[in-house]
Amino acid sequence: MNDAQAAARLQRVEALCAASIRALVGEAELHFRGQRLHRGHEPVAATAPHLRPTLPDDDQGSFRGAADGLALHLVHSDPAVHRQLAPDAALAPVARLVFDMLEQYRTESLPPTGLHDLPGLRQNLRHRFEAWSRQFASDELVEGDRGLLLFTLAQICRARVCAEAVPEEHTDLIEATRFALVPLIGHALAALRRTRHDQAAYGVHARAIADTVADMVAARDDGKPFLIRDGDDPSQRGRFTLLLNLQGTPVEGRHAATGWGGMAPDAAVAPYRVYSRAWDRTLPATALARRDELRQLREQLDARIARQSLHVARLARELKRLFARPERDGWRGGEEDGRIDGARLAQLVASPAERRLFRTEPPQPVVRAVVTVLVDCSGSMKQHIEALAMWIDTLARALEMAGASCEVLGFSTGAWSGGRAAREWQRAGRPAQPGRLNETLHIVFKDAATPWRRARPGLAALLKADLFREGIDGEALEWAAARLLAAESGLAGDGDDVRRCLVVVSDGSPMDTATALANGEHYLDAHLRQVVQGHERAGRLELSALGVGLDLSSTYSRSRMIDTATPSGHHVFREILELLAGRGWR
Amino acid sequence: MTDLAQLRPDRLVAVREAFGIDSPLQAPAFSERDEHVPEIDSAYRFNPEVTLALLAGFMRNRRVLVQGLHGTGKSTHVEQVAARLNWPCVRVNLDGHISRLDLVGKDAVVLRDGQQVTEFQEGIVPWALQRPVALVFDEYDAGRPDVMFVIQRILERDGRFTLTDQNRVLAPHPFFRLFATANTVGLGNLNGLYHGSQRLNHAQVDRWNIVASLNYLPAAEEQAIVRARVPSLAGHARGDEWVQAMVAMATLTRRGFAAGDLSTLMSPRTVITWAENLEIFGDLAMAFRLSFLNKCDEAERATLAEYYQRCFGQELPGAEPVLA
Repeated sequence: MNDAQAAARLQRVEALCAASIRALVGEAELHFRGQRLHRGHEPVAATAPHLRPTLPDDDQGSFRGAADGLALHLVHSDPAVHRQLAPDAALAPVARLVFDMLEQYRTESLPPTGLHDLPGLRQNLRHRFEAWSRQFASDELVEGDRGLLLFTLAQICRARVCAEAVPEEHTDLIEATRFALVPLIGHALAALRRTRHDQAAYGVHARAIADTVADMVAARDDGKPFLIRDGDDPSQRGRFTLLLNLQGTPVEGRHAATGWGGMAPDAAVAPYRVYSRAWDRTLPATALARRDELRQLREQLDARIARQSLHVARLARELKRLFARPERDGWRGGEEDGRIDGARLAQLVASPAERRLFRTEPPQPVVRAVVTVLVDCSGSMKQHIEALAMWIDTLARALEMAGASCEVLGFSTGAWSGGRAAREWQRAGRPAQPGRLNETLHIVFKDAATPWRRARPGLAALLKADLFREGIDGEALEWAAARLLAAESGLAGDGDDVRRCLVVVSDGSPMDTATALANGEHYLDAHLRQVVQGHERAGRLELSALGVGLDLSSTYSRSRMIDTATPSGHHVFREILELLAGRGWR
Repeated sequence: MTDLAQLRPDRLVAVREAFGIDSPLQAPAFSERDEHVPEIDSAYRFNPEVTLALLAGFMRNRRVLVQGLHGTGKSTHVEQVAARLNWPCVRVNLDGHISRLDLVGKDAVVLRDGQQVTEFQEGIVPWALQRPVALVFDEYDAGRPDVMFVIQRILERDGRFTLTDQNRVLAPHPFFRLFATANTVGLGNLNGLYHGSQRLNHAQVDRWNIVASLNYLPAAEEQAIVRARVPSLAGHARGDEWVQAMVAMATLTRRGFAAGDLSTLMSPRTVITWAENLEIFGDLAMAFRLSFLNKCDEAERATLAEYYQRCFGQELPGAEPVLA
């Protein structure tokens, strides 16, 4: 299984898990972005370590269990009460970890709202906890005193709160520690199950346990790293960890009980600016290559399309069905029912048996839509571009057959590593925070007004490999969006009822070495996010993204993933159609 | 049998006993069962709020519109209230092709003494208006708004009805009652479920004195309905457990529909059908497939399989695992 397939699977599992969470909680806004559960644009706290299954270690049951755990947490845990009772995550990380775990066990012991206890849900939760316990027990972490202490605590507390037995396989492992631990926390432990319906009362006992255990852990400190903070050490990835992710906590009040989870706050990045626009260019693709070269590339593309034998007419039909809306468009005479057609009354007099005297105003499907495809022309896209060019060409043709306009745009840079803008900056003595340094190159492969037949050479330029350099996504997206909002659909009487869809095709984050070196690694990324969120909130166009072998859900709220390695193009079109149809959008 | 038009409600029925609702009200009822009185369904369970609204319609001559999603038993609800009061009840299904003539009446050729004569035949509205009949317009929002203006006058309590073809003015019978049921509240097909529903004229919607909303019931009540409807299931050893899980499944599909994950949902009627099919086939998953799953879009079946796994603790046969 290659990475793209693994990522596609993960996305599929997450989609199903998110659907289950939405149904269990009854909130439409919940979805996964970048493997974290979000409510709208805000990340939701995933409180206990066992709620984070990973591929390829965990099976579908574990993902289901974690999803059900998250759903129950959302239903039963009040963030305000939690925040009030919880220990400070920065000062007492262990106490916080324990407290969050206990709160999670409490929510897992209760049935979802409005429903009785669901057997499958209970089974999933138990499955997930057992899988997590097995991973914990087989990790070296459990060989240390502190690891074993937390493991034992997790086992006995969950067993007590949920009234489920500790898994047989672990009873020997925890026996000694349990014997030492229970006298210290016995009183609070006994109260947990009793108070599980009352978060505040339960929290008091949970806090007592958390503080006691944190003291015990502190007393057994042996100097080795113990809790792993998320993002601390990439080598820890894929290993079993008691993950302590504190990112996102500084913005208290914004997302209330976020103990773990959350994106790096954008505020840390300086506002976006451009060092120099002197060398930025926007060019039609035909100006970037000689005519002979374009002809040759076109032949290459046509040959590839012919080999694939894609069904353009069918795609066009599906697109039409997607975009068309009924509009009353003129009268149809000679009908047997409807409204009386005054012009035919004379005919009635002449031949009284004539019945086709009526006229109707039948609704016609009319497509008013402009679709812009914005292709990331950064260096890494070279390997995918042949397949992509074929799909984009076919899509443009099908959209035109369906009656929608289509624009194909691309973005790259004029040079590697900053080009002339970077050199100018160096000559100026490298002032701090210069902003974006490279020379942007915005390419128009096909504009909305040019029909596909005339745009064929331009579309072939997608295959021109030497255009592919670095990528400054945020600015390109602004440019494409501005063009799209100004575009005409080519039909008369357009008002605000034109559907405007912008599909970004990309295989990664924005990248420009010079800008990243001068402004910090996340500078371009933060700007892209900002632009995306701006457009998503404004809602004047439908923004979506196709990740080429990569999940873009952490940046775009509407994204799908495609794999260029698969031989059939049909599944790609299915993804595109679903993106445009808005299925599964939050 | 006495003439229908001569009938009067002549006794009082205790609401508490007849409908199982905690209320001291006494409702007027007929002693004689006319042929138009619907059959009593003893398994029917009354929703207290809607029942009180309907009783207000019968007792105080209010015009009651019952709105609710499909399969919640709106029409049956009106019928069952009428059945227990022995009140004659006539249901008219509206559709986009019902015309004014159908409702008011038209001239028709009839045979009289061997002679063909043209005679005015009353439509359903004037017929019902002159009798102690509860007239129920089903799918009220499917009727074309311009046609529905025919009933504008009789929506008012003492509204007389003028037959323009006949130069006659009809005064309503004192025990004529008017009810309607609709899926929408007259704002058109907003969620894509009710194709063909019309936007109603709000001057008319305004004339309905009471608008009762019959939406999905609490899980416990729905379970009781399923058990009452399919008694053989209640006798089964695992019957209660199954009914509970089936109603949970229906609840999840409704929430999934509200969240936009599904384009169809399970109505209480679907759950009952499922239970009945379970009786026939003896297999939960197969009955589910035949009663609901096959109505769903292919792309949504994986989501339904997830719900099913939650509710029953086993995989829906035929669902492919994503992670092998």
